[in-house]
Amino acid sequence: MNQFITAILTSLSSGAIYALMSLALVLVWRSTRVVNFAQAGQAVLTTYIGYAIIQKTGSYWLALVVAVVSGALIGAIIDRFFMRPIFKRITSGPIVMIAPVVATLGLLGIIQAIIGLIWGLTNQSIDTPVSNAGLNINGTVVAFSLYNAFVLVIVTAVMLLLSLLFQKTNIGLALRASAYSPEIAKLSGIKVDAVRTLGWAIAGAAGGMAGMLYIPNTYLYPNAMDVLLVFGFIAAVIGGLESLAGAVAGAMVLGFAINFSTTYISTKLVFPTAFVVLILVLLFKPSGLFASKKERSA
Amino acid sequence: MFKLSVGKKRLALFVLAGLILLIASTLVDELRLYQGAFVATYALGITSIILLTGYSGQLSLGHSALMAVGAYAGALTTNNLHWHPAIALVMAALIAGLFGLLLGLAVARFSGPYLAGTTLALAVSLPTLANQFPILGGEQGLTFDVGSAPSKFGENFSQYKWFFWIAALATLIMVWTIANIASTRYGRTFRALRDNPIAAELSGVNVGLHKVIAFTVSAGVAGLAGGLLVMLVTGVSPSAFPLSLSFSLLTGAVVTGVYNLKGVILGALVLVAIPEIADSVVTRIGGSEGFATTLPGLLVSSLLILAVLFAPNGPGQLIKRNGKKVQV
Amino acid sequence: MIRNTRKKRVALVSALVAAGAMVLSTLPAQAAENGVTATTIKLGISSPKTGSAGLAYGKVPGAMKAYFDYINANGGVNGRKITLVSKDDKYLPTLAATQTTNLVLNDKVFALVGALGTSTHAKAYTAAALAKNGVPDLFVNTGFSGFANTAKYPTTFTVLPSYAMEAKIMAKFIKDNPTLAPQASFLIAQDDEFGIDGVGGFKAAGHTFAAAPTLYPAGGLTSALAEGALTKLSAVPGKPVLVLFGTTDSTAIILKAAEKLSLTDKFTFIAGSVGGDANTLLALGVKSTTIDGVIAASFFPDAKDATDEYVKQFMEINMNYNKGVTFDNIVLQGMNSAMLTVQALRAAGKNLTRAGLISAIETKGSTFASAGLAPLNYSATSHIGYNGYWFGQLNAKGELKPFGGKVALYTTDSTTGPVTASTYTRPAMPKNGIPNN
Repeated sequence: MNQFITAILTSLSSGAIYALMSLALVLVWRSTRVVNFAQAGQAVLTTYIGYAIIQKTGSYWLALVVAVVSGALIGAIIDRFFMRPIFKRITSGPIVMIAPVVATLGLLGIIQAIIGLIWGLTNQSIDTPVSNAGLNINGTVVAFSLYNAFVLVIVTAVMLLLSLLFQKTNIGLALRASAYSPEIAKLSGIKVDAVRTLGWAIAGAAGGMAGMLYIPNTYLYPNAMDVLLVFGFIAAVIGGLESLAGAVAGAMVLGFAINFSTTYISTKLVFPTAFVVLILVLLFKPSGLFASKKERSA
Repeated sequence: MFKLSVGKKRLALFVLAGLILLIASTLVDELRLYQGAFVATYALGITSIILLTGYSGQLSLGHSALMAVGAYAGALTTNNLHWHPAIALVMAALIAGLFGLLLGLAVARFSGPYLAGTTLALAVSLPTLANQFPILGGEQGLTFDVGSAPSKFGENFSQYKWFFWIAALATLIMVWTIANIASTRYGRTFRALRDNPIAAELSGVNVGLHKVIAFTVSAGVAGLAGGLLVMLVTGVSPSAFPLSLSFSLLTGAVVTGVYNLKGVILGALVLVAIPEIADSVVTRIGGSEGFATTLPGLLVSSLLILAVLFAPNGPGQLIKRNGKKVQV
Repeated sequence: MIRNTRKKRVALVSALVAAGAMVLSTLPAQAAENGVTATTIKLGISSPKTGSAGLAYGKVPGAMKAYFDYINANGGVNGRKITLVSKDDKYLPTLAATQTTNLVLNDKVFALVGALGTSTHAKAYTAAALAKNGVPDLFVNTGFSGFANTAKYPTTFTVLPSYAMEAKIMAKFIKDNPTLAPQASFLIAQDDEFGIDGVGGFKAAGHTFAAAPTLYPAGGLTSALAEGALTKLSAVPGKPVLVLFGTTDSTAIILKAAEKLSLTDKFTFIAGSVGGDANTLLALGVKSTTIDGVIAASFFPDAKDATDEYVKQFMEINMNYNKGVTFDNIVLQGMNSAMLTVQALRAAGKNLTRAGLISAIETKGSTFASAGLAPLNYSATSHIGYNGYWFGQLNAKGELKPFGGKVALYTTDSTTGPVTASTYTRPAMPKNGIPNN
């Protein structure tokens, strides 16, 4: 039984981590129709900035705030000075679909190289802000700590906050409109370019938070979030790319699938499980598990 | 003078290229031959991307996985079935093509990010499958030995020259085949499908079928490239096909110009030349460990971004006088 | 017209060939070896400097270079200065293959030293045709027993004891220890030749684990996986022995998972030589209270033991020639290999050839001075370096203290030979750490 409980708890923790990335990816997608592979690089960069703050001041919380703010700034800068020129130059042919993807890939490489130049390539570590010791429940120590709970709470809160932003506010409406029909949005007076930059800023902030929450679990090095990017993307696609709740739900599905298969079948099945889940979802519900028709036409 | 048809002209061009490479291979040293074989292999890899993306508009991030399928198929053919290495390379293309067929059928309905996501997941998870099945050799992988050159070429015929001949020949044949297909009715159909799938469907093109065909052929080409790659390193293992290989091929394709095959060699040359240029830059100006290791990646990524910003339709665009976008 | 051109071409080519043959035949009988000039010797190393293994082993090239710089500052080897070309292979077999090929073809190094990693080097050796080109492959940093096979790797010399040897000695240690012997034992190992070699070693020693070994993909051990594995094992009664056969980052993940689940006192941990470097474990966030009591094996003196003459000398060289790098077991290992390399080059004489280098190690290698506490076993029939280990326990400061206060060395082979106690004493260090053989 203990193994089963552990599997559930580690699934929740893993799922929360994947959700951090899938939320950021869905954010960018919903506000700009671009899949941002540089998200991994941006998140790592902001985490290094947070790391530098911790080195100077010893405060994780201050570092978290700085990471989120710098994430927003970096996201905005990337959109304004990098993505915008690309969209202006490329307006026809399938290169329209490919160019932003390829560009963000290139950006990822540059960011990681710059990080390597400034901070070097060896692993660093960031301590958890709250205890990562397993919680003591009725005398048994379980594989779930205060920190795991903290991450879970933050992820839920961010998801709710952002959903509110998108669905209930004018800014959210502007974001969605600019993404789906830029011409019409322009006609109704929305400054499409500025709104898109805002979308990237929000996503960058989410990524900054993701990095600071994820890295204490593991080590900090330039490629630290590459694997998370892959899982986050798979989670986002499973959830349907269209709703933030879907992003979180998809991440949970992935987390459970991976942790249960590695616990009960074989420890070598991390990546194959992810792929199988993805294929199954796409074969039987290609728009994603949690996308409804209503959402897609919004 | 004779009026040669386009087809015959193309054939003559490829034959001439082959002869030039043959002569060149006797004049350069082993290192260049080794690098040349890599260039040929990457050129083939980039061709497979151009086939899929430039000619049928589907974006795949997982071609490293398709190369892996071809590579393992080839290795198993020589090791377990004991067939001739040349047949192994053919099998590499065929099995990868079959895999591409299945994959294409599965993802035919996907578009844009969903296709990208699936191929990404494939690229990441397929190599790890090697650890699941002992016949695939696990982390150590399998050896792939094409043998030395036939003795009639002489004792001093270096292994690297042999690799170069095989790789260059395979690439020339394959690229010539693809170029021929591209100039037929099929090619036009694909381009129509790429530029405007709805219009194509309306004019009677079976979009789904053509997408699958493109995937299959592209996978076959990638499989052959995979077989050649592991020939060069005399063995296949999961680490031969990391995700970064997919990204490198994509970079090469964009730098080449994703719409046509004319510049594949250029793209491949860039991919092979970048680490070497980075190396010589580092030895010249010195620098920390971190600098030496990150510089090649920095150069490739910068090149990619520059290509996307200033020549998204290929270097041909830079030469054109007027500002019109290149139409293929 | 065509026929004449062809005839002309053939005539021209033949003339050239004849001329070439004449020129070549007048060259001195001994052509200069690659990588050797009157004033320099060029050596090459392909090893992980980044990535998961780079964390633990990234310091090796720098440490070797520091020692070579020290020797160069003191006259070099027979008047030649040593340069080390170092390439990063990120612990990936294919990258190692291309980097090693480049070292041979492009940098034209005289010999390779300190290659690291089992799958990486196995692939690199074949791809770069080292056997065919007769390139010496000195003192590889891996314990894979297969590299001692001189039929398959004729130019390779190992230095580390093999993982099979380590596992056999570990098994004997567990058996002889009255507290550990009655407990159930388990193995968590990396799923590649490194871990599998260890599994085989335990089997050869006749040691049975209470359950099948838990194998995890190299570089793929997540905290979730570790927590799951430890939870499962926590149900075993008593104080089970947990053998960890993996790299440092994986060992750290397992130890941190034990901390999270408050299971650090539940198990007795035995860390393999690869994953047991206390410095790195502490740097990765493992608590010193957790490290306190972990059993580990070594064939060197502890890197923190400044009373040992070799350690003291290497520490000094590190301070002067490897600024900014903390001295630890990895640096010690690198410098030691560099010292062996210098002695090999000296023994090969002024007329330096690749074949000469190989036979110099075969004839004189077993007498080389080194920091290792186990004997070197080089001979005409054996390319095996060290073949023994001593066991100790880590304390909270990360120092490895031998059991019973005194180093008890055991030696064995990689197959079915017995594990025997050894009375070997190592040769004294040459003055100032500068070889004079």
